[in-house]
Amino acid sequence: MPGDPAGVAHLYVHLPFCAARCGYCAFVVEVGREDARDAYLGAVRAEIQRADRLLGPLESVYLGGGTPTLMGSGRLRDLLDEIRPRCAPGAEVTVEANPETVDAALVAGLADAGATRVSLGAQSTRDHLLAALDRRCGPDQVRRAVDAVRADGRLRLSVDLMLGVPGQDGGDLAADLDWVLATRPEHVSWYELEFKEGSAIARGGAAPPDEDHAADLYEQAIAGLEGAGYRWYELANFALPGAECRHSLAYWRARDYVGVGVGAVSTVGARRWRNAPGLDRYIAALGAGGDPPRSVEQRDADVCRRERWMLGTRLDEPLDLAWAGPADHPEAIERLAARGLLERHAGTVRLTRRGRLLQNAVVQEILDFA
Amino acid sequence: MDQSHIRNFSIIAHIDHGKSTLADRILQITGAVSEREMREQVLDSMDLERERGITIKAQAVRVMYTADDGETYQLNLIDTPGHVDFSYEVSRSLAACEGALLVVDASQGIEAQTLANAYLAIEGDLELVPVLNKIDLPAADPDLHARALADLIGDDPDQVLRISAKTGEGVKDVLEAIVTRMPPPTGDPAAPLRALVFDSVYDQYRGVVAFVRVVDGEIRTGQQVRAMATASDFAAEEVGVMSPVMTPIGHLSAGESGYVVTGLKSLVDLRVGDTLTLAGSPAESPLPGYREAKPMVFCGLFPVDSDEYPDLRDALEKLSLNDASLVWEPETSQALGFGFRCGFLGLLHMDIIRERLEREYDLDLITTTPNVEYEVTTTGGELLEVRSPVDLPSPNHIEQIEEPYVRCTMLVPQDFVGAVMGLCQERRGSFVTMTPIENRQQVVYDMPLAEIVLDFYDQLKSRTRGYASLDYEMIGNRQSPLVKLDILLAGEPVDALSMIVHRDSAYARGKGLVERLKETIPRQMFEVPVQAAIGGKIIARETVKAKRKDVLAKCYGGDISRKRKLLERQKEGKKRMKHVGNVEVPQEAFLAVLQLDGQSQQ
Repeated sequence: MPGDPAGVAHLYVHLPFCAARCGYCAFVVEVGREDARDAYLGAVRAEIQRADRLLGPLESVYLGGGTPTLMGSGRLRDLLDEIRPRCAPGAEVTVEANPETVDAALVAGLADAGATRVSLGAQSTRDHLLAALDRRCGPDQVRRAVDAVRADGRLRLSVDLMLGVPGQDGGDLAADLDWVLATRPEHVSWYELEFKEGSAIARGGAAPPDEDHAADLYEQAIAGLEGAGYRWYELANFALPGAECRHSLAYWRARDYVGVGVGAVSTVGARRWRNAPGLDRYIAALGAGGDPPRSVEQRDADVCRRERWMLGTRLDEPLDLAWAGPADHPEAIERLAARGLLERHAGTVRLTRRGRLLQNAVVQEILDFA
Repeated sequence: MDQSHIRNFSIIAHIDHGKSTLADRILQITGAVSEREMREQVLDSMDLERERGITIKAQAVRVMYTADDGETYQLNLIDTPGHVDFSYEVSRSLAACEGALLVVDASQGIEAQTLANAYLAIEGDLELVPVLNKIDLPAADPDLHARALADLIGDDPDQVLRISAKTGEGVKDVLEAIVTRMPPPTGDPAAPLRALVFDSVYDQYRGVVAFVRVVDGEIRTGQQVRAMATASDFAAEEVGVMSPVMTPIGHLSAGESGYVVTGLKSLVDLRVGDTLTLAGSPAESPLPGYREAKPMVFCGLFPVDSDEYPDLRDALEKLSLNDASLVWEPETSQALGFGFRCGFLGLLHMDIIRERLEREYDLDLITTTPNVEYEVTTTGGELLEVRSPVDLPSPNHIEQIEEPYVRCTMLVPQDFVGAVMGLCQERRGSFVTMTPIENRQQVVYDMPLAEIVLDFYDQLKSRTRGYASLDYEMIGNRQSPLVKLDILLAGEPVDALSMIVHRDSAYARGKGLVERLKETIPRQMFEVPVQAAIGGKIIARETVKAKRKDVLAKCYGGDISRKRKLLERQKEGKKRMKHVGNVEVPQEAFLAVLQLDGQSQQ
């Protein structure tokens, strides 16, 4: 499928610097390379400029990491200055932040530079869970960061939380839930901890919780947030009305996006490319006026179709079959509907609540991933 | 060579008691194999044999030995298989000999297998030379075991040789004993040819090669030869001896052992135990003792990937070329698709074939519960041979069922006798005798073979900390109250999980089985009842709970390809599952039936 004729409307910028690698992390991050930040900023700006011909008016921008706020307010402002002229009116501009880096000055700086939204990686308010995750901040820092964002008042707040952390019980989850409901961020991402290969927590031999326990926690989080007026609009994401993350929705609606920075992924039309990790060669390549080292994946029509299904069924909105394309196993749709996992209505399908909890298995039934 | 200078002998020993090491040492001392060529276990050529430390195929090796009397003797070492499954082959190998070395580990003592084969040798009038091996081991107790060994064969303890095949100590005495104590062959060189086929192998270039012991007459290259039992005629393309590789010598005469290249295309045309004679001047009667090897244990073999069905057929065809006792016929299962019902001489034979199929032919297989052959008399008076639970008629059409029984001989240290008797009782055994041998008890039970084919041997080993040894022989069929136990998944009977069990143990077996299946079958998108039933009546039930959560947590722009690939991998994993109705069943579930219920393990 060809790219959006109006140009790509969604930009992701990867800012890989971190003070330390967290226990659950398997992302492209750079620990202790603060000296390279200026050069990196220059390279990122150069990559954005090189992407000029692809980009249309930006409807969403996301600065993710790493710990973007470790770039420092000045550099973040410079970066946002580069991006702002490319934004459509009313664009959503999110900056990810670790709580320990957030204070009143940082918040004011971001808002001044055009950010509209901050996504706070809280993960939990429980001491023992933060310790299990190797997080550097404590519950107090999470609270102070929230207070700083709220005091400024110009940024929408999203918080990230985790479930399925070793040692987490229903009481822990209830405590986090109470905190969320008291804090009332516009948006909540509540992820199940992934035991990614390569992360310290997986290497340390901690086992994922059993399915029933994880399901209990998940259902507890969903029920708690929905009861408080949040919409469970994506499998792991909840929003107060109108506060859905437009940038993330672009991914789930299989829109085109450009990602810049080390390890960032772009998808435009059938073509997907991924910048290689490695700060130095990234900086060197762009400094030399070329593209960073990349791997390219050319997706065929079936892959694109299956991805639309895989992504679209994560959302609570109906999947338009005319848009998504045919199922590989139409009879599976009947079967899943009969089991109450899926609803069909006027050319759309939509997973039921129980179906959403089994989304992975549901798409496996419908599609031949091969 | 004149018969007085020929000795045909074999070595009887329990697994690991050093038979192959002794054989190798004999080859080395007599110069049949040079030091440089010396390779561990020359006689065991197949990898699998080497790995398991057992001998599957018997062969004959000729060595020349100049004895202390100054005369040179032709010694033919006829190797014997070392497992109860192959006892018929053992008996034929022994029939080709006048004597046997009875080798016992000086630290372990006599084992059931040694005992069984020693009795076979005594029955065959072989001269037994008792040998205690591994006297160099610190744990060796030669005096104790020498007395027991002497008692066993009615010999004097002084006559027991004490050696270490590993170091070579005493091996020379063994060679002297072969020459002085074992009798020479006594066939009639002038009579019509009679040669006993004690083994045969299939060579893809030369066809069937028969290993023979010439009893009467003589066989020469180029002669027209007849196998008397199968009535197949062929030309003896080459006649020779193993020394230790195939060496053509043109003829074998009465008393000698060697090989004959037959050019026959299938082992079916030349069975172990058959008698070769000359087509032009046949002997009046064959040598005694031939019988057809009859499969005792049956199971279904199905490819995990149904596309591999033709490959499985090819592989079975190839294995059959070299293994006449492997039988197989196509079988169709609702649950497992197309496969084969295979018959084996015993459990080890089954394991070996299955392993070779998986290893040498790279096949992924599902094996159904092994079972025995039942003789069913229908109410209409018809006699059926049932080799698969699926073929068992419905209960109201069955007049009676008979199942094969075996006499089990176990050698058990005194402390474990209670445990072993308990095990045998659980497995429907009836006590026959108990006799002390050395510091152990020889416990004999009559038991249904069906009770042995599952995990009896493992249980015996685990309940005696590995000290008990087992041998068994067929004693015929007996009538038993047997029923077919069916397993239902999500209400549908799964043919591949059915089994025939004793009425009294059906409930415990059914209960144990559904419990294990519940643990083995992964949660599905819906609840799956797992039921055990007899004739439509449910006797046990478990439930595989419905899956509650199956999501890939985070999925942003950088994750999409990775998540998609994860789904692809999961799909690949699902391909290895068998679909039974809508239920995805992993291969291991079909193995769950191989373990018996938890009760019997306490």
